[in-house]
Amino acid sequence: MSQLLSMLSPDFLLHHALYGSVVVGFVCPLVGVYFVLRRLIFWGVALPQVSAAGIAFAFMLQGFGLALFAGGEAGEKHLAILGSVVFTVGAILALTYMEHRFPQGLGEGRVGTLYALAAAAAILFVAWNAQGETEMLSLLKGEIVTISESDFHAMLDILLAVCAAMFLFQREFLLVSYDRDMAVTLGRSAAVWDGLLYLLIGVTISLGVMTVGPLVIFGLLVVPTMIALPWARGMTSLSVLSSLVGGLSAFAGFYFSYRFDLPLGPLIVLALCALLAGSSLLRALAPHRTR
Amino acid sequence: MSKSAPHHEPLVQFKSASLGYAGRAVLTGVDLSVEREAFVGVLGPNGAGKSTILKTMLGLIPPVKGHLKLTGSSFGLPRFGYVPQKEKLDVIYPLTVREVAAMGTYRRFELFARLRGRSHDDLVRRSLKECGALDLSERRYSDLSGGQRQRVLIARALAAEPELLVLDEPLAGIDVPTQKALLKLFKDFKEQKGLTVLMVSHRLQAERDLFTHIAWVQEGKAEFGPAERMLASRHITEIFGDDQ
Repeated sequence: MSQLLSMLSPDFLLHHALYGSVVVGFVCPLVGVYFVLRRLIFWGVALPQVSAAGIAFAFMLQGFGLALFAGGEAGEKHLAILGSVVFTVGAILALTYMEHRFPQGLGEGRVGTLYALAAAAAILFVAWNAQGETEMLSLLKGEIVTISESDFHAMLDILLAVCAAMFLFQREFLLVSYDRDMAVTLGRSAAVWDGLLYLLIGVTISLGVMTVGPLVIFGLLVVPTMIALPWARGMTSLSVLSSLVGGLSAFAGFYFSYRFDLPLGPLIVLALCALLAGSSLLRALAPHRTR
Repeated sequence: MSKSAPHHEPLVQFKSASLGYAGRAVLTGVDLSVEREAFVGVLGPNGAGKSTILKTMLGLIPPVKGHLKLTGSSFGLPRFGYVPQKEKLDVIYPLTVREVAAMGTYRRFELFARLRGRSHDDLVRRSLKECGALDLSERRYSDLSGGQRQRVLIARALAAEPELLVLDEPLAGIDVPTQKALLKLFKDFKEQKGLTVLMVSHRLQAERDLFTHIAWVQEGKAEFGPAERMLASRHITEIFGDDQ
């Protein structure tokens, strides 16, 4: 209990790490609901891996002496974020193009191939940059504990902007996801709204992967929505519930990580799975199930 | 596509159009027009190309060849109220009936109105009431029966304040009493609201009395004309039988 109280104190040494994890926990499910509802769950596995490959690529470029941003370590991180966003958004656009161009093709096969390619590329990019290997590996694991004050504030600003956009444009994102034909007949540009949604997804995944790592991001994209879906009544309710579940799991994961000195990422995933099990049990016991 | 909007012109006019996908025509020589306050039936067997006409008209696919002229009050185009086949909508979405119906009002961006918390609740409620679905408002759409879902989708189309209501197989997979209730609803749209309606169907039963015009789609061609003439033509009787 005393450790919980000390975590909540403003003087807590790792308060940026705690707030960062919780904010990522709140925001990831807001974009994750569209992965589940659009039945693109495997994208949630592949895209964090692509994001990781983007980070590895950026570090490899720096290993070859190409530094786009000044400022030493901060510049390296900015380049890594840029690499991650470019790779992730690029992969989303490529997958979307393939879905439209070859609708009869095996979509899951493409996503699986992308996952394998991204994983292989990340390993190769690291192998070609032995100097930055240690730092890169720690970033890929999501070393939020080392986050600086300025990085924390930049991440917070961007994720809050994502959060605001997800609620502000919810009806557009819902319309193009739920009934694309209807959106077109109402004169709305499905491509523009899809594009904006994908950009927000790309940015969230990229920042999330650098904060807590690819494994946790996949968990935060998919599991909170699975927990919230049977209980939600409406899109806002689904988004808010999923977000709360994500934030709570991140907080619980951080607490147990601090309490027992264990890695943060796996504990967040375990917290999510425990909540999913609890929710499923409640559903089974509830006299009037919503679904 | 034309963007002029004189009130006397047909809302939709195909002239010698070839329609299809990715540049490959599945229908050729399509001549069809939807006059205001008409009730047009697009009929034909499954796979004949009825949906191709519908998708081209709605702007979902471009015509392969020929001319399509759309006239209406929404930047020169008709305000469509589209009712898709209910199976096309994924029931994994935990949407309430009110949320589904409200989508009809999403034509405009209205960011500032949204920030001020203004919505189109009255219009949505009115549309649901007209379709006999107001008491379902807070239920989950996925929990409804086929007939109830169809009512909600029609309410959603009405909430778009349409000049042209487009119904894609609205009676398919629905029990007979609900079919009768929906037909009564369509009759009211025609006689009391003066709505222009285009309805796609692969059958010709009780709804035949509603049609003012019929497009008969078969074997890569679409034949269009007034309902009396089309219903009297030999091949429609052959396909659907005299007893319908």
